[in-house]
Parts: sequence; structure tokens; C-alpha cells
Amino acid sequence: MIMLDRRLIEEIDWVLIALILLQSLVGVFFIYSSSHFLPGAYHVRQLVWIGISFLALLVVLAVDYKFFVALSGYLYVLIVALLAATLVFARFVAGTKSWISLGLMQMQPSEMAKIVLILVCARLFAEYKRDFLTTPHTLGLLFVAGVPFLLIVAQPDLGTAMTFVAIVGGSFILAGLRRKAVILLVLASLVLGIGGWNIVLKDYQKKRVTSLINPAGDPRGSGYQVIQSKIAIGSGGLTGKGFQKGTQSQLRFLPARHTDFVFSVIGEETGFLGVFTVMALYFALLARMFLSVSKARDRAGVYIIFTATLLLAFQFLVNILMIIGLLPVVGITLPFLSYGGSSLLASYVACGLVLNVKMRRFANV
Amino acid sequence: MPEDRIYEDLTVVRRRANAVFWIFAVLTLLALSYYWKVQILEHRKYLDMAEANRTRSRVLAAPRGLILDRDKTILADNTAAFKVSLVRESVKDEAASYAAISRLLGIDEPTLRDRVALHKDLQLFEPIVIADGLTSEDVAPIESRRLELPELLVESEPQRIYRSGTLAAHILGYLQEQTAAEIRARPERPTRPGELVGKSGIERVYDDVLRGDDGLAIEVVDSLGRVQNENARQYPVQGDDVILTIDRELQAEAERALEGREGVVVALDPKTGEVLALASSPTYDPNRFITRFTPKEWTDLISDPTSPLENRAIRGLYAPGSIFKLVMSVAGLTFGYVTPATTVTCTGSTQIYGAIRHCWYAPGHGAMNLADAIKNSCNIYFYSLGRRMGINQIALAASRLGLGRKTGIDLVGEKEGLVPSSDWKEAALKEPWFPGETISVAIGQGQLQVTPLQIALLTSLVAARGVPVRPRLVSNVPAAVDPAPQADGLFKESTFEEIIAGMWRSVNDGGTGAGARVDGFDVCGKTGSTQTMSRESAERLARAGRVIKTHSWFSGFAPRVDPRIVVTVLVEFGGGGGATAAPVAKRIFALWKERMKPR
Repeated sequence: MIMLDRRLIEEIDWVLIALILLQSLVGVFFIYSSSHFLPGAYHVRQLVWIGISFLALLVVLAVDYKFFVALSGYLYVLIVALLAATLVFARFVAGTKSWISLGLMQMQPSEMAKIVLILVCARLFAEYKRDFLTTPHTLGLLFVAGVPFLLIVAQPDLGTAMTFVAIVGGSFILAGLRRKAVILLVLASLVLGIGGWNIVLKDYQKKRVTSLINPAGDPRGSGYQVIQSKIAIGSGGLTGKGFQKGTQSQLRFLPARHTDFVFSVIGEETGFLGVFTVMALYFALLARMFLSVSKARDRAGVYIIFTATLLLAFQFLVNILMIIGLLPVVGITLPFLSYGGSSLLASYVACGLVLNVKMRRFANV
Repeated sequence: MPEDRIYEDLTVVRRRANAVFWIFAVLTLLALSYYWKVQILEHRKYLDMAEANRTRSRVLAAPRGLILDRDKTILADNTAAFKVSLVRESVKDEAASYAAISRLLGIDEPTLRDRVALHKDLQLFEPIVIADGLTSEDVAPIESRRLELPELLVESEPQRIYRSGTLAAHILGYLQEQTAAEIRARPERPTRPGELVGKSGIERVYDDVLRGDDGLAIEVVDSLGRVQNENARQYPVQGDDVILTIDRELQAEAERALEGREGVVVALDPKTGEVLALASSPTYDPNRFITRFTPKEWTDLISDPTSPLENRAIRGLYAPGSIFKLVMSVAGLTFGYVTPATTVTCTGSTQIYGAIRHCWYAPGHGAMNLADAIKNSCNIYFYSLGRRMGINQIALAASRLGLGRKTGIDLVGEKEGLVPSSDWKEAALKEPWFPGETISVAIGQGQLQVTPLQIALLTSLVAARGVPVRPRLVSNVPAAVDPAPQADGLFKESTFEEIIAGMWRSVNDGGTGAGARVDGFDVCGKTGSTQTMSRESAERLARAGRVIKTHSWFSGFAPRVDPRIVVTVLVEFGGGGGATAAPVAKRIFALWKERMKPR
């Protein structure tokens, strides 16, 4: 099971790996451009993280995904415990309790929770042969996802919690949603949404939503980020201001330039051509992952590929729409491009799972 | 497909996955098209916004022009005042940083921490002022450690400094921030926030000359306001200098002579009207207006009963006392009531309009002509002259000699004083004039009110044998006010020679002004002692053992021929003019005799 024979290696989708690495290197360039004047050498750290993440990806490849799926129950208990521990013990970083310290490194367990949730979904639906989703399954998955979701919301890390919606929603779509179920889910999410707005959301998060409707209303506050980001992208024009020449990013008008808003830097410094190129690369990457669904040999595999891909696609879309002011600013990173070890690791592991399923498409066990 | 038999049927889930993929593809395309709209169609708009984002204009304060004395010695200068701020964001090692700052600025660490804690709500990148009003020597050690201490920000702005402290404070005036109403009143004059403008004295009258044109720096800044680069700079232009007619040494001597008293010294050139010294005591330090008062200091200053802020030379109103006998003499000769030879006999007292009037010298001066009367400051002579002349003739002469109206000196707030007449009394008090009042006016008492500067100009007119001048403090800026007054055809030169003879004898021939005598300088002068209450009540109080001192006057000029300086001294509650004011004048005459440049 652990052993990798030559035939399996030949089945690895090297094109996908190349696309991932290429995208990551593009990220390193713009992380450098937007943070070289800060202490901390973020681009070097990101390179190290790419190395670590790539190793993790290889490790994931070495183990049959069925083993991960089988382990998902234990992993789930472990991650819920970690999230709870994080909430209690972790130091405050940037106002949220989402980081725990692992010696030199700091980890966000919430990022890993996404991977565990993918595996849990695959496990839950591995033997699911009905045409449509049933109520017990719906409620079961909602409960299973709900526990870590609420723990992450409580940190509060709304962005990561939001990505759960993609994974759970993806699973529901695959399992098959009847019109009645869709209506119920929409109603339930409306109720939850209104309740959440009034009870769970912090003022700053509410402001982010209201600033979406009227960003100029509070240009120095939460609307500020969106306005600055939009100015950065818009002022880039067709060809951009040039590498390290973006005034918005070099002069630090852009918030979170090397993390959540790295795509704004790309928009400013390389213009629409750069935006088009990076988006095309992304599309190629995600399309290749989506289309791998047809290569999965079993239902668990389909679920893994689909939810993992949907997770990345969701983050990609939400991020690029958020930085241009079409969605509220929630802390969602751009996979592969944004600076950040945990996010990078989670994205690589997600891809690793996809590659894993894809390379083991022939029943040989 | 062969697999179908081995593997389960996954077509349904695959179809659903594909449908989601196509939704994703469409969304990606829509996102891309929105980027097209923002980056290509609206590019111009966002480019303009980006430009506005990163440039900021900063006003560069222009230094005020200097104020110099007649020898171009600087009286009002500018200095670079520094302030040091701490940017917490840049602090690497807090303990080491605070220790270094404490050592460099001489602030003890708890104070420093308190000051920083006071502003802990500020953003980390916002500078916190930890010391201001520093000299370049104070900040030099910080500047030289710029690389080690990037958290410290040193900024400078030109700041007015009066290097001699209180010297000539009433002439120079002081600076203060404008009130909102004052700013609104002059919309054409842009004011920098926090700019200090002239509120009194030369600083106020010549404010437009002294104020420079502020410069502008167009700076590229980051979102934290940190300057990254400078695009353009318009340098500030310093205001023009103002050269005073004041002689620094003479001014200093005048102030020293008045130290510890309330009083005034005015010295001017009778030929040109140039004011050589103008001291008013007590005084204040105009620097305190720059470094800002504490509320208590300010309350103490403005409620001080001796009014240090008042310029007594132009705003102090006093009865002229015997100095007014100069006016009486000019009037008597001009209107023909007396000739130089006319004599009056003083027996120490006389009865006028049924009341006994005394001379200050009880034994009596005996028979006197005009010059004797001036020399001895005999009251009886002038009672007699005043009785014959009447109040309206006196008032006419007094106003022709410049009393009762502003001298037109280039200072603000000058007072007019008062020359009473029967018309004035009818209008102001709705009462007829009583002849007995004329007798009081004849010796400079009654309702008469003059400023020391008016007396100096009266003396100047006598010294110049009838040629009036307009007093001025500034030599290099043409006066904006009406031209210098012309000689009044009313007075004959010979009239003044008689009076000057009396004044010369007053100082040099055993008269009341002997205390002002300077060897070889031919000082001519007239003393005065002003009753601060009626003679009767003063005597009553004196009998009760209370010492009631009169205001003490001396006004004179030197030398007798071709006069070069007029000196007027007033010492409040100084006692007799000869005893207190004349010696002060002597110091001024003596110093000017030394400093006078040969013409």
C-alpha cells in the first residue's frame, strides 16, 4: 500500500504538478515585489513553504487515498480537538485565535480542517448509491461539518469557515439535490444567515459587508481596503506599471499585499495582461483537476477530486471577486499565490489527494 | 467501456461534477470581464485616484523677516526649533530604545514611558511627540544616530526668537495664533495652521512685510503617511527685514534706568522723528508667547496690576504737570499775553477767583520773567498767565502743539489724550466751564491728559524751533500713513529761543532740572510733578503720615544748538520731577553724547 511501483509513478499527472509549481513561483515573485521592503524576507519563507508543501504532496501521493478515507474518522476527532485547543490556548495573532505554535512554525489547524472535511465527505458518501440526497445524510453531514465550522467561526476566522460551504455544498450537489431540498437549504441558510448576522458576526465583519454596498461610506475603515485594492487593479491598465513599480503596493496603500491581496499587486504591476495570464493558468489548473473526476475509479475518489477542486475553485473565485469589490472582504487566500504556510500546505495536500485518486484509477488492489 | 463491469457506475455524479465545472468556467469568464471593465474601460479614473493617493503637499513654513536696530543688530531673529517624535512601529528593542532616548534627550525613562502611554491609542506608525522646542544642539546626538534609531523622527520649523529677551518688548510686540474670526476677516491672506502672527508692536504693524511666503513640497507618501520621495518643492521665501530707528544700547540703558519702577523713557531725533528708544516699564518677555504660556502664567500676566503688556509710552495717560508750562509759554508769547521781559512776582501764594493758590516753593520766587519762571517752574507766573489767557486760547495752543491727538507713530493702540476746553466740557459733561479750572490747566493739572510720546513730540517741536515731526520706528519701510506734518506758521522761531533759554537754565543754572545736566552737552529741559489727587487731600494724607508721591516728569533735549536728541521720562509715583525723572534722562543724554555719530 505504501510502496510506489513504477507503474504508479508513470500515472502521476506531472502536468498538473508543473502547473501548481508554476503558479506558486508566480506567487513568490509578487510576494517579493510587495514585501521586499519589509523585514522578514517573506519570499524566502514562501519558497521554504513551497518546498515543505511539495514534500507533503509527495507523501500524500505515496499513500493510497483509501487509507486516508478509512482514517478520516480519527483525523476528524483529532482536528476537532485541535481546533478546540486552539481556541483555548493559542496566542492572539491579528485579533484571531487561529494560530497555534509548533516550535518555530506556526500552524493554522483550520486550514487542515478543510482537508479532513474532504476526507470525511468521501467517507460518508463512498457507499451512497441513491439518486438523491436523503434527510438523514443531509443532517448527518451538516452536523459533522457544523462542529469544526462553529469552532472556526468562533476564532473568529470567517474566511476559512466559508470554505466549508464549498466542500459541504459540493458533496450535496454530487449526492443529488431535489428541488424541495434546495428550497429547504436556501431557507435554512437564510435563517442561519440572519441569525448569524445578528448574533455571530462581529462589527468589523458586518462593516465589511456594508462597505461592499457602499465602499466610499467609510474610506478609512473597512471600505478602505476595497477602494485601495480597486484603485491598484484599475490603475494597472492593460500592461501594468511594471514589476516592483506598483505605487499602490510599493507605497503600502494596499492592505495585506502579500497575503489576501496579492492578486491586486499582480493587477497593478502587470495589468490586464498579467491578470489574464494568471487567471488562464488557474483555469487550466482547475479545469484539469475538475476533469480528473472522470478518472476516479470509485465514488470516494470522485468526491475527493470534486470537493478538493471545488474548494480551490471557490477560494480562487471568492478571492478575485473580493479584491475587486464584488464580494465582502473575508479572509480568504488565493491558493498557491498568497503568502502563508498553512494555506499553501492545505492547497498542496488537496492537490495531492486529487493526484492520488487520479494515479490510482486502475483497480489493482 | 470495459471498466463498467468492474467499477461501479459513476456517470450520474460525473455529470453533476461536469455541470459544476461549467458553472465555474462561466463565473471565471464573468470575473475576467469585470477585470476588463475596471482595468481597461475605467483605467483612467483609477489611475487618477492612484496619483492622488500617493502625493501629498506639505506646507514649508517661511521664516519671518528679521527686526534689526538702527545699527543692524538683530532684535528679533529666527531659530530652528526641533521636535522629536517616536514612531513605535519602528522600535526594535523597546528597553534598549527607551534607554537610548532617555540618555540622548535627558528625559528620565518613567516620564518617557508615561508620555508614550498617553498616546497608546494612536496607530503604531503615528509619531508621538516626546520633546519639542529643542535646539539644534539638543537634537544633534539624535541626528548622528539616525541609522541606529530609525524610530525617532526629528522635524524642524523656523521659530521666532527675541535674543535679548525683554529688550524693546513693547516696540517689537509679540506673536500669537490668529483667532478664527481674524482668519475669516482676511481671506486673501492664507494662514498656515498654527502659524503665529503679529498681535502687537512692530510684529503687528509690519506683519505683512515680515511674513514670508510659505513654500510647498509635493511628496510621495505611502499609506502610512511616510515620505518616500519628493516630486516638487517650492522653497519658502523669508519675510522682509524691518530696520528700526531704535538704538539698541540706548534702549537697553533706558530699560535699565527704569528697572523696578513703572515708567516710560522716550528718546527721539527732533530733526527726523526717528525714535531712538522707547521703553515702558514693567515689561514682559515676548519669547513666552512663542513657547506658550501655562494657563496660570497667562492669568497672572494679564491680571498683573502693573499691566506689563501695556505700552505706557503711547497708551499711558497722565496729567502733564509743569511740563505743560512749555505750552503755556509758547501760547503766551505767540498770542501776545506776555513778552520775554514781562515779570510776575511770586510770594509763594496768590488769591485767584477767591481761592488761595500756592506755588510749590513756599517762600516765593520773587519777581520773574518768562525764562526765570520756566527755570524755577513757578506756578504763580503761570496762574497769572492762564487767568489772562482763558481756557480756549490754551486749548488752541495745546492742540496746535500736538496734544489731544495721536502722534501717528507706527504702533497700534495709541491714545489721543485730552485737551479740555469750554466746548468740550459742554459736549462731554453738559456743564459750563468754570474759570477756576483754567488755573489748574495752566499748570498741567485738571482734565488734561497726555501720553509720554506726545510730550516727547512737544519737546521735539520746541527743540526744532517750531518744526514738527512725525515719530517713526522703522527706517526701511515707507510709512503708509499721511506724510509728516508741516511747520505751523503760527509759531515764530524767536518764541522758542526764549523758552529754550528757560529750559537751559532749568538744567544748567540751578533750576529744577539740574539732575539732568551732562557736561558739555547743553541739555535743556523741563521738569514736572503731577498730582495724582487734589492738593488738599494730599496734604491731609501727608499730615496723617502717609507719603503721597506724585508722578515724576522730565522732558528735554540736547544740545541747545542743533539738537540731536529729545528725551522724555515719566516715572509713576516717582516724586518730584527733578529728583527722579531728571537723573534718568541724564543717563540717556550722557550715553547718547558718547554714541552720537558726528554729522
